[in-house]
Amino acid sequence: MAGHVSLQYSTSPQQNQTRIQDSEPRWVRWFLIAIALAFISLFLLLPLAAIFIKAFEKGIAVFVNAISDPDALAAIKLTAVIAIITVPLNAIFGVTAAWVVTKFQFKGKSLLITIIDLPFAISPVIAGLVFVLLFSAHGLFGQWLLEHNIKIIFAVPGIVLATLLVTLPFVARELIPLMQTQGTTDEEASMTLGASGWKTFWLVTLPNIKWGLLYGIILSTARAIGEFGAVSVVSGHIRGLTNTMPLHIEILYNEYQFSAAFAVASLMSLFAIFTLIIKNVIEWKAKGAS
Amino acid sequence: MSIQIQNISKSFGTFTALEKINIDIQTGELVALLGPSGSGKTSLLRIIAGLEAANQGSILFGDEDMTHIHTKERKVGFVFQHYALFRHMTVFDNIAYGLKVRPRKIRPSKQEIKDKVYELLKLVKLEAYADRYPSNLSGGQRQRVALARALAVEPKVLLLDEPFGALDAKVRKDLRRWLRKLHDDYQITSIFVTHDQEEALDVADRIVVMNEGKIEQIGTPEEVYENPNSPFVYHFLGNVNLFKGRLHNGKLHHGNFQVDAPPEFAKSMNTDAVGYVRPYDISIEREQSLDSVAAKISYIHLVGAVVQLELIRNDNGDFLEAELTKEHYRSLNLKTGEEVYVKPKQLKVFIPEDFSI
Repeated sequence: MAGHVSLQYSTSPQQNQTRIQDSEPRWVRWFLIAIALAFISLFLLLPLAAIFIKAFEKGIAVFVNAISDPDALAAIKLTAVIAIITVPLNAIFGVTAAWVVTKFQFKGKSLLITIIDLPFAISPVIAGLVFVLLFSAHGLFGQWLLEHNIKIIFAVPGIVLATLLVTLPFVARELIPLMQTQGTTDEEASMTLGASGWKTFWLVTLPNIKWGLLYGIILSTARAIGEFGAVSVVSGHIRGLTNTMPLHIEILYNEYQFSAAFAVASLMSLFAIFTLIIKNVIEWKAKGAS
Repeated sequence: MSIQIQNISKSFGTFTALEKINIDIQTGELVALLGPSGSGKTSLLRIIAGLEAANQGSILFGDEDMTHIHTKERKVGFVFQHYALFRHMTVFDNIAYGLKVRPRKIRPSKQEIKDKVYELLKLVKLEAYADRYPSNLSGGQRQRVALARALAVEPKVLLLDEPFGALDAKVRKDLRRWLRKLHDDYQITSIFVTHDQEEALDVADRIVVMNEGKIEQIGTPEEVYENPNSPFVYHFLGNVNLFKGRLHNGKLHHGNFQVDAPPEFAKSMNTDAVGYVRPYDISIEREQSLDSVAAKISYIHLVGAVVQLELIRNDNGDFLEAELTKEHYRSLNLKTGEEVYVKPKQLKVFIPEDFSI
């Protein structure tokens, strides 16, 4: 609380200083801004515009058809289901892991943090392959799963697992530094006032971390919806059954249905833009709150 | 509620934070734990509150053994150094927190909570601030909210960790007087941690001086100030001048200088010793005598009721401090750079064997 306030005060004079000492010639500034803008336009805005132009190239009818096609609808539905399952699980895991790492001292703590980071470091394809190795018919548990008639690979559970693995670090990584700077005195104060651990969590810890948590949830939702590599390995690309939106786009594209592919892609892009807006609102609100 | 601290030891890895601490605190007492940083005073306070577990020993509130009782059951009011107010709650909600989180059976009604909170707001003189958030309060106001929040649960024991450490000098003085008065009105057994000797001397009934995880001395402010039992306590409670020398036949010698040592050292022969003299126990003379040393005045502070002199001894270049009344100073007509004779009026002698300076 006090730390945040002083931080704000200390940054504002610095900003003033840079403005005063800003002695770069005007043309240098404009040149640098122009380079940045050109780069962004070429690599971000142009492709984004291309998606929408392509999507509507053959008229609204084709666009509507493409996204109301039963396979497309199934893909959208599956993607939503995956996100609805994985994001809450990730939120719970992330809060638990961050809590454990920041509020307790124990051996192997840095190892735990490293393991949480692992999905960031390894390729999503490998993340997918791990599950194939474990759960496919020839995998480690394949025989047992066959006997009990449980399908994981080339089915929804496999996609959920792969997505979970890939999105695992987002919430925890967002919360750990936040909770580290906040320390444990608020929780201790709550305990001395007679609150149980559970009440302390809901009334003190959660309100303190809510903006960071929301931010982590937004990021992990975006990733859960957009994940291609890991999901591609485990899904089996069964139309109407195990196709998520990114996989559906790939299939359409490979079948030379460019307009349809871009129609679905535009839908995903819209979602991404929407996520970015929410993310910015949250950042802005969080700044106001502190 | 009386507090008994019995044989408490605590270590963090190889570092010993506390070693066999024993303190008895009477009901209604206001005790200061005084020591430099790293002396273990905050660890001890946290162990009393149950925020930290001791490796050894026990804590008793009254006759009740609290050693293995969880913090939330101990009914202590704890005021944190940086207040630890809940930033997403208003002042009202902060103070009401301890009552609101009680299990339904023993939770007061909404109206009772409201009355209690306003009673406390009145006590800390913040009635107008009930709807403010902590970020809109000054340091002193936050500290008062933290105190009101701790008192709301009617604790049996009040523990304060450097309660005024983060405040500026004026507010600090006001607030500690106010705390003293509050304590006198409520008679709640209180322990506060501080590294500021002036604060401890000003407020506490008794002072526990701590150093390196051990208790150096326990006593009333007068006792520890007037009769420090170790060089550490002497140093820690106020300024002090050192006169190194040899003890022989009941006198402390250094060169030609010799001064009477306290009677308990009458039998010491030829031992190294150090005499400790408070600045106000030094007299400045114009005439040389056997029990005075020559020194040169290097600086004169004239601000305040007493005049502070800084002197440098001629024989060994040691730095000395003396305090005189304004009248005495005027009658001596002292000037910077002058040579005078410094005479210890009263000194305490410690033989350096188990301590180093």
